[in-house]
Amino acid sequence: MKKTLFLISNLLIIAFLLCGCTNDMSRKEIDEVNLIRVLAIDYDQNEYVLTSLFSPSGGADPESGEASEETTKGFGKTPYEAYEDLKAKAKKAVSLGHTGYFLIGDTAAENGIDICFDFISRDETVKMDALFYITKDSNAYDFIEKGIENKQKIHEDLEAIKQKQEEFVTRNDNTLVNLLNEMKQTYSSVLIPYLIPDESSFLTPGYAVFDQMKLRDYLDEETSAGVNFIKNIIRNYPIYLEDQVGLLVSHSNTKLDSKLDNENIVITIKVDYETMIKEVNTPDSIFTGDRIQELTKKQNQFLYEVINLAVNYSKATGLDIFQIARMVEKQNMKEWRNLESNWVEIISDIEYQYKFNSRITKSFILG
Amino acid sequence: MEKIINSTNLKALFHKSGDIVQRQLNVAHSGLIIHIFGVDGLMNTMMLDETILQPLTENEELKNIKTEKEVMNYLLEGGAYHAFAIEVTDFDLLIRYILSGMAALVFDQEQKALIFDVRTFDKRSISEPSDEGVMKGAKDSFIEVMRTNTVLIRRRIRSEYLVVEQLNAGKLSKTDIALVYLSNIADMDTVNRIRDSINNLDIDNISTPAFIEEYLTDNKKSIFPQIMYTQRPDRVSANLTDGRVAVVVDGIPFVYILPCQLPMLMQSPEDYANHYIIGSSLRVIRYIAMILTIFLPAFYIAATTFQNQMLPPEIALSIQQAKQDVPFSSASEVLGLLIAFEILIEAGLRLPKTVGTAMSILGGLVVGQSAVEAKIVSPTVVVIVALAGIAGFILPSQDLSSGIRVTRFVMAILAAVAGFFGMTAGLIILITHLCSLDNYGVAYMSPFVDVETSNHKDTLFRFPIKYFTKRSKKIVPENRVKQK
Repeated sequence: MKKTLFLISNLLIIAFLLCGCTNDMSRKEIDEVNLIRVLAIDYDQNEYVLTSLFSPSGGADPESGEASEETTKGFGKTPYEAYEDLKAKAKKAVSLGHTGYFLIGDTAAENGIDICFDFISRDETVKMDALFYITKDSNAYDFIEKGIENKQKIHEDLEAIKQKQEEFVTRNDNTLVNLLNEMKQTYSSVLIPYLIPDESSFLTPGYAVFDQMKLRDYLDEETSAGVNFIKNIIRNYPIYLEDQVGLLVSHSNTKLDSKLDNENIVITIKVDYETMIKEVNTPDSIFTGDRIQELTKKQNQFLYEVINLAVNYSKATGLDIFQIARMVEKQNMKEWRNLESNWVEIISDIEYQYKFNSRITKSFILG
Repeated sequence: MEKIINSTNLKALFHKSGDIVQRQLNVAHSGLIIHIFGVDGLMNTMMLDETILQPLTENEELKNIKTEKEVMNYLLEGGAYHAFAIEVTDFDLLIRYILSGMAALVFDQEQKALIFDVRTFDKRSISEPSDEGVMKGAKDSFIEVMRTNTVLIRRRIRSEYLVVEQLNAGKLSKTDIALVYLSNIADMDTVNRIRDSINNLDIDNISTPAFIEEYLTDNKKSIFPQIMYTQRPDRVSANLTDGRVAVVVDGIPFVYILPCQLPMLMQSPEDYANHYIIGSSLRVIRYIAMILTIFLPAFYIAATTFQNQMLPPEIALSIQQAKQDVPFSSASEVLGLLIAFEILIEAGLRLPKTVGTAMSILGGLVVGQSAVEAKIVSPTVVVIVALAGIAGFILPSQDLSSGIRVTRFVMAILAAVAGFFGMTAGLIILITHLCSLDNYGVAYMSPFVDVETSNHKDTLFRFPIKYFTKRSKKIVPENRVKQK
């Protein structure tokens, strides 16, 4: 009897402990589900349009030998309503569990990304590392439809974009989990990379900037690079100097330090980086102490200009695109209470100081 | 019948047994009659003739002998050219000696018998272990004869502390059992408990290993083996020096080792024959294989039926495509194939070796491939079940492998019913069960659950031998130092 009671109580404890696992207990065979690979969210004609792109579960077309990607659209007053409409229209049950990419159309982004994110973040199956992109000056479904017309493999192209991003930055900050975290920082702007079409592929030149969750602007490539330097996520970055020397930042470490001086905030940006010489198109030897020193100064100046672009943008627009608020709050807990209410005005008056420490470390044998 | 030793009683007892040899002997033609009893086929008659009968009949000195007592004294004092000669006064003991193949000279007037060990019988020669073969290491293995097996152990441990206790079990079979341990190391409480368990065996016959295994096991309901068996004398000797106790049963070609813990069953002699990094790597692979064999089919069912988001998208799509047009659910596919796999294994065991190979090809390849082509099962399921099946055979202990095969089914069913929830619940129950097992006072999961860190040096990883300085405190309370 004791053993039976022990067993029953054990099973009850297990059931209570694991109750979270029972949220998705609906039995559905994997071949009865359409796995959405890419989901586009748009706002068009006063309603949200969700376009799902999924690889057909039937596999490749036996005639062409190619697996075409299929789409289904849903419409509604809210993204969730549109998603439910999409589910109703889809041939099979749909799942966001394999959605690796969310494309948010220009107009939907202007309407507010928090609206788009809400229903996604509440889906227990969604991948927290799914990536988000904004489609610049276009609806996201146009991207998908044009891509399909051009016989593009949309999913593969987005995968390529992700890999290209990873070549230049140490982490992708446009994941669901990171964006949700950034959205919590109410004083700072959210940045999401934007896509533009390019012949038979996509490009992601920079960031779309959000102000109070609404799309405000698009940063150009150089300004976005400046943001990446300040966010300390640069893996590689090319530097082209006027004297026919090409360099590549191979390692970079940026530290931000805040100081409060009579209600003035001074931010010191310390960039410690290394570069490799990648190209020398000048007959003069550059491998002398003086030349290397000169090149080092020039590359510092180059990076200063890149970073300054981002800083100037932030000051001009009053947008905290570097998450400075969070840093100031952490480093100056007491003072932050006074600054908090006027942060939007303060951000434009922040004084930035720069410190560059760089080395040209690898010249290789060819010299 | 009164249990008095005399030829009349013995003749009455064995009068229907055609294989019992009875013979009268006139000692040196003196007129003094004694009787010889033995089992035909179990005695070496030539040895009996040369060492006992010849001296009794041809020695002129015996012509003047008057009493049976004098004959007995003569034989015991060197008249018989035989090393093993004992006097027996107990009737039951005499019967046991006779039936075990010894020759008995019965003296009616004295109501005593002299026993001579002239046993001989056909036995298998010592060969390579069939289940525990190693590339590097000893190639001998135990056979069905208890004494040969104890000799193999004694050859490896030439210590005066090595005790080979002779026991007997089985009301009818009277099977010889040897309890082997090192008296200066082994925990005597454990030895006593095992001895008591053997002595208290109340069964007729010890014909198969299960008869003794189930009686020596503390937790009989568990499907996990709590007694280790091995064919290798070197493994037994290693465990004896670790303080464990060996049980050698006549008629069983392997030796039991107690107390047994789960990590022991995951160890292979090869681990110690190789460099410790290689040994550790092999062991880690074995543990991975154990996890795979238990959980892979269940994971597949749970992931394809309930939470497909647990799979990487590419694999999910690949499974989706493979499952197209297959009429069965993932759970039915996996469980069906698991059953088919078990059938194949059983068929392979029963069939003659020559047919067995053809059966494997027919069952595994032809039927498997045809089933995939006919869309009865998806290729992914075939891969999953085959991988789980093969992983199960990596485990060094067949008993553990069998227990895990059953667990695999239970996990698959739980996953089919409740997905990962069922699997997790099953895992918790499994761990609780394993941790609750206790084997002669030692936790089954020891040393994983031990606080004593010195015991962890030969579990998941095999540390260099120089670190094996102490015996486990749980097994050996005293004399724990192995090396300094």
